[in-house]
Amino acid sequence: MAERADAGPNEAGSVVVATTSVTILASNRQMLYSSASLHRHFYLMAPKPQLIRRLADSTMQGTTKKSRLIATASASPSSSMKDYFSKYAEYLNQFNDKRERVVKASRDITINSKKVIFQVHRISKNNKDEVLERAEKDLLAVRDQHIARLVNELQGTDFWKLRRAYSPGVQEYVEAATLCKFCTSGTLLNLEEINSMLLPLSDASLEPLQINILDYILGLADLTGELMRLAIGRISDGELEYAERICRFVREIYRELTLVAPKMDDTSDMKQKMDTMLQSVMKIENACYSVHFPCEIYLLKETTIEDHKTLLHEHVVCISNGKVMYP
Amino acid sequence: MMKSAFRTALVLTTTVCHRSLNPNPITLLSLRTATASPPPNSTTVTCRKIHCNSFSSSMAGGDSSPTVAAVEKQFDEFRNRLEESGSLRDRIRAVATEIESTTRMMYSSLLLVHQSRPIPEVLENAKTQIDVLKQLFSSLAEIVRERPGQYYRYHGDWRTETQQVVSLLAFMHWLETGSLLIHTEVEEKLGLNASEFGLDVEDYLIGICFMSNELPRYVVNQVTAGDYDCPRKVLKFLTDLHASFRLLNLRNDFLRKKFDGMKYDLRRVEEVYYDVKIRGLASNKGESKEDQTIEES
Repeated sequence: MAERADAGPNEAGSVVVATTSVTILASNRQMLYSSASLHRHFYLMAPKPQLIRRLADSTMQGTTKKSRLIATASASPSSSMKDYFSKYAEYLNQFNDKRERVVKASRDITINSKKVIFQVHRISKNNKDEVLERAEKDLLAVRDQHIARLVNELQGTDFWKLRRAYSPGVQEYVEAATLCKFCTSGTLLNLEEINSMLLPLSDASLEPLQINILDYILGLADLTGELMRLAIGRISDGELEYAERICRFVREIYRELTLVAPKMDDTSDMKQKMDTMLQSVMKIENACYSVHFPCEIYLLKETTIEDHKTLLHEHVVCISNGKVMYP
Repeated sequence: MMKSAFRTALVLTTTVCHRSLNPNPITLLSLRTATASPPPNSTTVTCRKIHCNSFSSSMAGGDSSPTVAAVEKQFDEFRNRLEESGSLRDRIRAVATEIESTTRMMYSSLLLVHQSRPIPEVLENAKTQIDVLKQLFSSLAEIVRERPGQYYRYHGDWRTETQQVVSLLAFMHWLETGSLLIHTEVEEKLGLNASEFGLDVEDYLIGICFMSNELPRYVVNQVTAGDYDCPRKVLKFLTDLHASFRLLNLRNDFLRKKFDGMKYDLRRVEEVYYDVKIRGLASNKGESKEDQTIEES
């Protein structure tokens, strides 16, 4: 055993493990630091993404530079390995920082789009124009403040590589924008229309951020949940016509999406959303149904009052209880 | 069962709709009993369908058909575009499968190093597959070129295969030269053009981690075959590699996990080196210097 202790390599092994955890701590600290100083960085370092691209080019494309690098580093093979790795490290750092900033922008888009949606839900019988006007104004603010930030962070690149980082925010924005549009005009806001509204945010020299089909569809799938709440609200406010309009709209979207859903890139996510969507559609339908039915039968009452006393009796009970539900 | 329930319900509703102001209440009554009797699940379905029918007919006047057509048009376009994307993906998958099987061939010929076949012979066999890989990657690049800027949309479809390729190429390069195959060299070997279809840096790094997994087994078998200098060389290389990886600030992702696994490779190689050294089998050539560098890191 004593021999083992001074043999060295085993100790080296434990040293390795220990230093690994130190690096982890250090990298955690750095992450904290970079998120804390994010705001400061953000305005000062606008040209950063170009830097990333240049760096990526130099690490990826530098076949000509490579020979020079090898020449300078050939003295010690291990230091040359470290040289290359510090290049990779730089690339990864820049890219991960960019990702963090994109995630943060996406989160802000989500929060503020949610606020727009809540604003729309404040709708009631007599304040529609006022509420919707406010919602539209807020929606514009989301676009001009937060989506503009996302556009700025992406700088016309990595739309697909960073999609997972910004997708939640974009979906929520699609949801808010389509909800507003439906409430003001009763129609579906097309992807083309949303994208044309995003065009002015981008610098003309860069490829503009355009919402992709997948995020648009995922956002629409979430829209039905909000419309369901809206429909229930309208029904309890007595606006049946409004609720029925929602019902038809949602049903149409669901029908269209059933054909599109299996062709999406990540079908499992969409499948789950389709299930929730069907639940929402059915909730609206059942709610419409339950208020629709007694009224119709109420009409019947007057024409058939003589002949069908049993039926009538049941309905009178139902209505006098003050319930809208079919017994 | 459910279908027939639905059919009767449909008949009933049409009756209701046709005589909207003077329906036969007996039908209505029977409808209620009919919907009440089946199990709860089918009841909801039937109710929903009835509801659909009565609604669409009563609301027909209020439905603005141009918007429906516009909606339909948009989704038709989506469907077309997603279908195109799907068939592109299928083509990518087909190439990726070929890459996978070529890699397997390469791997199986490389496995002979564990049976202490002479390295040049083993490498020569494995190298014949590189040209095949080059061709496959060029057809992959050609497919992806059809969708400029969407490399990362389909990236997942060839990722793991590419990582495997990197690991084998790096292993071969190490057997040949004793040094690490760097990122741009992999691109060169595979004939990749970084500006349109490059090798993702993370894929490269993950591939290198896979290569490190291969080393402990190689060391063990080399020692068994009588090459007592091998552990020293491998330990030196792996220590450098591990130290280099520690320069990276990794996220909590797959690469991080693979890197965390690398220290077990390192430990295993250290153990073998220890065993060889303690028995006095290791050659003394340059040993004290190596020990120093190991301890430093």
